[in-house]
Amino acid sequence: MGLAVLGLFAAPAHAADITIKVRVQNQVKDEKTGKNVKEPIEGVKIVITGADGAVVAEGITGDDGIAAIVVPEKADYTVTLDESTLPEGFALTDGTPERVITGDNFVTDSVTVNYFTGNAERSSVGYWSQLAQRLTDGARFGLVLAMCAVGLSLIFGTTGLTNFAHGELVTFGALTAYILNTEQGWSLLIAAPVAVVAGGLFGLLTNEVVYSPLRRRKIGLISQMVVSVGIAIVLKNIYLRVAGGRVKAFAAFNNQTCEKFGPVCVTPRDATTAGISLVLLILVGVALQKTRIGKATRAVSDNAELASSTGIDSQKIIRIVWLVGGMLAAAGGLFRGLDEGSTPFLGSNLLFLMFAGITLGGLGSAYGALVGSFIIGLFVEVSVIGMPIMPGADWPAPFDWLHDGVPSELKNVPAYVAMIIVLLVRPQGILGRRERVG
Amino acid sequence: MLAAFTDINWQLIATATLTAVFGVDAMYFAIAAIGLNVQFGYAGLLNFGQAGFMACGAYAIGMTAHYWHISFWWGIPMAIAYATVFGLIMGIPTLRLRSDYLAIVTIALAELVRLIVRSVTFKKYFAGSDGINGFGKTFTEETPFNPSGKYSLWPFDDNANMFGRILLLLIFAGMSVMLGRMIAARLSAGNKALRMTLPLVVFGIVMVGAKQTEYGGLGFKSLIVGWLIVFVLGALVYMLMRSPWGRVVKGIREDEEAVRSLGKNIYSYKLQALILGGAIATFAGMMFSLSRGSVQPDNYSRDVTFFVLTALVLGGLGKVTGSIVGPMLYWGISQFISVFLNELTKVWGGHVDIFGVPVITNPSQVGAYVQIALGLMLIFLMVFRPQGLFGNRKEMALDGR
Repeated sequence: MGLAVLGLFAAPAHAADITIKVRVQNQVKDEKTGKNVKEPIEGVKIVITGADGAVVAEGITGDDGIAAIVVPEKADYTVTLDESTLPEGFALTDGTPERVITGDNFVTDSVTVNYFTGNAERSSVGYWSQLAQRLTDGARFGLVLAMCAVGLSLIFGTTGLTNFAHGELVTFGALTAYILNTEQGWSLLIAAPVAVVAGGLFGLLTNEVVYSPLRRRKIGLISQMVVSVGIAIVLKNIYLRVAGGRVKAFAAFNNQTCEKFGPVCVTPRDATTAGISLVLLILVGVALQKTRIGKATRAVSDNAELASSTGIDSQKIIRIVWLVGGMLAAAGGLFRGLDEGSTPFLGSNLLFLMFAGITLGGLGSAYGALVGSFIIGLFVEVSVIGMPIMPGADWPAPFDWLHDGVPSELKNVPAYVAMIIVLLVRPQGILGRRERVG
Repeated sequence: MLAAFTDINWQLIATATLTAVFGVDAMYFAIAAIGLNVQFGYAGLLNFGQAGFMACGAYAIGMTAHYWHISFWWGIPMAIAYATVFGLIMGIPTLRLRSDYLAIVTIALAELVRLIVRSVTFKKYFAGSDGINGFGKTFTEETPFNPSGKYSLWPFDDNANMFGRILLLLIFAGMSVMLGRMIAARLSAGNKALRMTLPLVVFGIVMVGAKQTEYGGLGFKSLIVGWLIVFVLGALVYMLMRSPWGRVVKGIREDEEAVRSLGKNIYSYKLQALILGGAIATFAGMMFSLSRGSVQPDNYSRDVTFFVLTALVLGGLGKVTGSIVGPMLYWGISQFISVFLNELTKVWGGHVDIFGVPVITNPSQVGAYVQIALGLMLIFLMVFRPQGLFGNRKEMALDGR
């Protein structure tokens, strides 16, 4: 998305990067029409090796099933699809994961390689096992999303600012950890806490350098929101310049095979990150409920002036909120990066889901953000498989997704729609209060 | 190091910059900004989904060829219908709530539109991520311009015919009078001599600038038609905002309660402003698609909304002149930085180092710096000059509703 805009700017003068576009699609025969339907497959790892057998570049397919991998020059390469990263039950139709490209294949700056899978075995995975797997993945994603969104919601609650650059705080954590781990060779166990602390300090810095002076100058909230948009643009492009546009897998804890727990398959890495997320979120919840600072934060969120009059230093609370929010966002970004690979767009791609989550939970309520984001995360993952057990298996065309599931390229759509329905029916969200919304 | 500056091809930079000032990008941004100005500048509605409205226009036109197989002219009423539906979906849940809800919902809905039009699932209707090509042939093929020719906006260009010359001169004259008078009023209101001479000065600058421009013949017709649409829509909004309707809308921005106490239905007025601004923005999508002969879903990402907003803030919120001149300067600045950095990279042997730090090692990195510069421009404008170049600071003291 951002790259497309870059192209728009750069149109006349730039030579585009030389890319190998790898497209991985699943072919399914539609029972009704008899035609082959192609669905993109996300999260498949592609490795490109040069003529000398050395790895030149790697990539992971996005939600459109495409991995655009930049290579240094038009030369001979071997493209290898990592079959272990294909979803459970999927196999390549022709059985060969390797494709050879010669320099002559590059007619333009890019060359496209197609892989097709059949899911003959997919139907053998029962609905309940699929659902259990999706619920597990959804819960993991929901926890990550909740971590990212808590800061957004607390910042909104205490300062009134809708921070459109919050996604960039999330990306910051992922990229910092990536650079320390993979490029500097630190152990991830050291790189991760450093990245989280750096994320917190980065959040604090944003407040001290930008928003705190703006509040002192009594710049309106809408103007502050537009400033945050500007910050998002600047940061995203700095990330793009520093880290490049490619999807990057961490050096550590990569390519783990998943372990079976009944119908569910989870890698040790994912189980660990989910556990840490859960512990962190419970800590935040308890801190808000029990500690002095937590209580003060809720008081400032509720009514900043009243809180000030009882002797709470609201600027101090706001600083703490930026620090903790930045740390949680960085941790969320780090976990997401471990899962999906990090890109400069990692956080901004989650921003809408965070908004959907905190709107569902109630704008400005910290607990609402936790609950709402968790539900949205679950919803996004589960909506993909649909409800094939629903009675009346043949739903008419506009509703057939209820039965078949939402195509994975559109899996965020139900979350956005849910957000709009919530605003129509109960604008204060699940845990918000009526008087805040008008 | 400094000697290298003289090796830079300044003529090339000037041509690229001035071409961008009057170019297709500035034209479609100006249309989108006029629409956003109705919403944000006049009604105070923070619409972050302008790209969605632009996509409505582009896809209305594209779908006439891809799905409906009818004349592309039907795209215009369809675009307005799509914009109305889209505006209703955006506005109904949010316009009774605080303004940040509108921002969140509009940005998410615009993204939703992009996801749907680029999806494989709806390829039958919207052609997926490949986009739609080959529509509007009756518009693009009946052109007096040679597709492989080079054209400029210089009215006395050898390629121009009498009609074109008069048209260009009239547009430039109108623009110069508008701008010149505005600047004169800003510098010293009531100074008659300044009021007479400044438009002439501006006219001279515009003519010198126009002589530098260079466009290919292929999209030249849509460029001219597009700028005419800019001026028609600009005049329309200018008059509308001086009508009773416009006064109510501006009143809502200033003080909602006061307008409500006069018995006006604020919700309905806000919805009307949102839809009107969106319907205007559909023309941006239409003209951009026609000029390229193609509709691409990724041209309507959220960044486009943000850049239209930046261009509008640069020109000045709440001023029609601002919404037209802002995008022209925005694209001029953007193209200037881009071409300048490219030239600098070329002259300095393929990379730019500042104090030994490699800043640019590959021309493809220039785009990121351009966007960083424009993002910083948005931040600094919003903080230090929220009224932009032409706005009125008192009028634009946006409060935090």
